[in-house]
Amino acid sequence: MRKWFSTLAALIAAVVIFAPVPGQAHFGAIIPSEDIVTQQHEGDLALEIKFLHPVEMEYMEMEKPETFGVMHNGKKTDLTGRLKPAGGKSPGQKKNDTFWKALYPIQRPGDYTFYTEPKAYWEPAEDLFIKHYTKVCVNAYALEQGWDQPVGLETEIVPLTRPYGLWTGNVFTGRVLVNGQPAAHAEVEVEYLNESAGDSGYIEPPFSPYVTQVVRADAGGVFTYAMPKAGWWGFSALTEADWTRQHKGEEKNVEIGAVYWVRTRDVK
Amino acid sequence: MKTRTYFLAAAAACLLLFAASASAHKVSVFAYADSGKIYTESYFQNGDPVANGRLKVYDSSDNLVAEGETDKQGLFAFEIPKADDFRIVIDAGMGHKSSFILKKSRVEAEIKSGEKP
Repeated sequence: MRKWFSTLAALIAAVVIFAPVPGQAHFGAIIPSEDIVTQQHEGDLALEIKFLHPVEMEYMEMEKPETFGVMHNGKKTDLTGRLKPAGGKSPGQKKNDTFWKALYPIQRPGDYTFYTEPKAYWEPAEDLFIKHYTKVCVNAYALEQGWDQPVGLETEIVPLTRPYGLWTGNVFTGRVLVNGQPAAHAEVEVEYLNESAGDSGYIEPPFSPYVTQVVRADAGGVFTYAMPKAGWWGFSALTEADWTRQHKGEEKNVEIGAVYWVRTRDVK
Repeated sequence: MKTRTYFLAAAAACLLLFAASASAHKVSVFAYADSGKIYTESYFQNGDPVANGRLKVYDSSDNLVAEGETDKQGLFAFEIPKADDFRIVIDAGMGHKSSFILKKSRVEAEIKSGEKP
């Protein structure tokens, strides 16, 4: 009996290890200058909106998002007009790719959930379009209200763990929604934003499975991951859209992603 | 006699429970100036308002310039006393005290807008 179990365990391990994981995961990203705004805060909050490979630090050319906005106190405000183009590249990239910047004044206490709906990105290697709806939450003045509310995007991750004030080693639990309904067994990719490593040093993946961590949501669309390093972590829940889009006269599938970013700090 | 003892024990237990649930939530106060007034909001971490909290306002020389009690929504407002940095202190009792610094630069602009007809 015991032998049977260990054989099964080895088999499962083999399946997990050799499962076809795309080598480079694309991630939409919204990274704010501060995740927690306090009395010491001066001036506007600066946000960067990107489309990149977070571990490899490779940027993709990003068109101006269709929507960029913020939800505070249950009220949504469109901020698309605040987007300004900027250039960024990884140490290995020759030319800059476009990403987007925005400034926003935080004026009241509470949680500010920033969200973006990008234009669909054509990925020839995967023969499909990619569209990553991305969110991040900024807490202001110690009023912890709003982070657990959905924004109402085509697909989104709704946090079950408060998404700020997290230590390194904490878990992040979220629920994946598609059209407002839990996405059963959705695949969630997890990557570390190497740009945010600072003095602690970049993650250097020893093998390709270390680039992108993969967890599958349960029947209720709920997933959990424990974050082993201080910095920004991105969670990307991928599903196939119930619509297609034309590329050179052919209908192509669209991969929709629900992306959420959280920041961890070391216990000191 | 016995009933009274039980009652006291129950009362003590209630107090302890209440103190425990309140102390898990940090108290904060936030303030902003608008059209000649300073508005304050006092709240627990989870968003519950601090009702009937003692609120005191000190200027940059530590003089008390305003004080009052928060309403059921945790709000308290007062006329801008002068252009200065203000330290606003909320005391919600049971050791729950917190303060907010409202900078002079934020106050100055709103004194003028309060003078408009």
